[in-house]
Amino acid sequence: MIKYFSDIFTAVSTIAGGMFITLTHLVKAKKGIATLQYPEERWPRPERNIGFNSESYNVIRSRLHVDMDDCIGCLKCERACPVDCIKIETAKAPERGEDIKDVKHVGITTNGTRKAMVVTRFDIDMTECCYCNLCTYPCPEECIFMTGGPNGKKHPIDYEFSEPDRSDLIYRFAKPGTKEGMENILNEKSKVEA
Amino acid sequence: MGVVHGEEMVLNIGPQHPATHGVLRLQVRTDGEVVSQITPYMGYLHRCFEKHSENVTYEQVIPFTDRCDYLSSMSMNFGYVVAMERLMEIKVNDRVEHIRVVMAELQRIASHLLCTGVFGLDLGAFTPFLWALRDRERILDLFELTCGARLLYNYMWVGGLSHDIPVGFVESTFEFLDYFEPKVDELENILAHNKILVERSADIGVMPKDVAISYGVTGPNLRASGVKWDLRKNDPYSIYDRFEFDVPIGEGQKGTVGDCWDRFYVRIIEIRESVKIIRQALASMPKEGDVHQSLPKKIRPPKGSVYARTETPRGDLGYYIESDGSPIPYRVKMRSPAFTALSVLDEIGAGWLLSDVLAILGSLDIVLGEIDR
Repeated sequence: MIKYFSDIFTAVSTIAGGMFITLTHLVKAKKGIATLQYPEERWPRPERNIGFNSESYNVIRSRLHVDMDDCIGCLKCERACPVDCIKIETAKAPERGEDIKDVKHVGITTNGTRKAMVVTRFDIDMTECCYCNLCTYPCPEECIFMTGGPNGKKHPIDYEFSEPDRSDLIYRFAKPGTKEGMENILNEKSKVEA
Repeated sequence: MGVVHGEEMVLNIGPQHPATHGVLRLQVRTDGEVVSQITPYMGYLHRCFEKHSENVTYEQVIPFTDRCDYLSSMSMNFGYVVAMERLMEIKVNDRVEHIRVVMAELQRIASHLLCTGVFGLDLGAFTPFLWALRDRERILDLFELTCGARLLYNYMWVGGLSHDIPVGFVESTFEFLDYFEPKVDELENILAHNKILVERSADIGVMPKDVAISYGVTGPNLRASGVKWDLRKNDPYSIYDRFEFDVPIGEGQKGTVGDCWDRFYVRIIEIRESVKIIRQALASMPKEGDVHQSLPKKIRPPKGSVYARTETPRGDLGYYIESDGSPIPYRVKMRSPAFTALSVLDEIGAGWLLSDVLAILGSLDIVLGEIDR
């Protein structure tokens, strides 16, 4: 009999206690606690001020971007990728000659390295990308990166990059026409040699 | 009138069912509401982790370990790098160790918050789930500040970390802990002592000590059965032997030792212990130290094998790594704590009502990504 009433008492008191906690939340509900109305307002992206050797770090996980002007075609990022979503094809840069007008080849990167390769294909399949950031570390020219960070002014962070078609998520960074131009040069070269 | 015995019915719960916490199929034999046998079928989330690891280099395995237990990726990274560093005999500096411990314990809090919140949700309490997720969000913000990712980090590397913690991380973590500690009490008050939850979970699904040990159950599930076994104390890895914390065990406050309520409550106490560890680690963290100091140029471990185990939020995670001297592992085997927790389900779940089985499953805190790998 005593147990029956004590059970009722604990049930009522614990539930009332829970209700009281909920009620206090109702009273002290502040702005910022409630859900954000997503498309109109968004969570602020955290400021990433990495203190130690800050310039070289980019810790943002967003879509990948490649500055093709700086790429030397060393294939280090392709080898680092655990899911093989980066596909690079390179061709040996032809010697400078009369056929130079077709393709813009051997040049100098921002770091001052001479480009010995022409990158004819640089595709990143963002549907396969696992955002592990492993490809950005070995790059000697720091030309592949997740958008944002130190390059934020040129390439702001964009988390919302959905596309209507899946094939639109395969980013082709190699300059359009590079492959055909290279083929033309090589064909003509072989003709001359023959 | 005597008891009416009906025919037994076979019922499939899942693979698409919110109470199975992932893609798990439970085939239960029921007699009315009473369950007589539970057969879990898994493999719906099998992604060939172990076979895949034999085809990528050692550092490329780390993103895949993230995806095994996606609710505690930091701890999964931690286990792998501890094993690799033991194999390659790398000693990392104090700053790295402290940062790793802070991250692993923050991850433990996040994982336990989700588990306790979802356990309430399984039993019909919706508010604590939202509160738990709200606080977990703060932890994920801290991780995002550190490494840019919110769920799958690839933060711990063999011989170091991918980057140092940002300026102001220590302060914002202390700020979070100050904010968070009253919230744990609140969560406990609204959920743990609630009569409805106690009635649904106390004395339900009792896992005695001997059953837990013979099935190889580890982690909070084992401790709830009254066994004081925590790898951070009993087999210290990293620098856990420097910190003071208690190992909570189930005491059967509301019912029997090892019931659903104990498994749930042990996790709440563990959250508090993790807060203690984080405070100590942040206070004693060295200001100087390069996180890339002992990073090997090329990861090419000597011929041999290693087995290292660490304490993840779900229990004893073991990595067996065999190297043949090449930059690609010969074999990576993972000993998953959630798998043993799932295998004990039939033993402790048979004989209970159908709705109790889901409570037992929720209290075991399984993650299917880790079971299927």
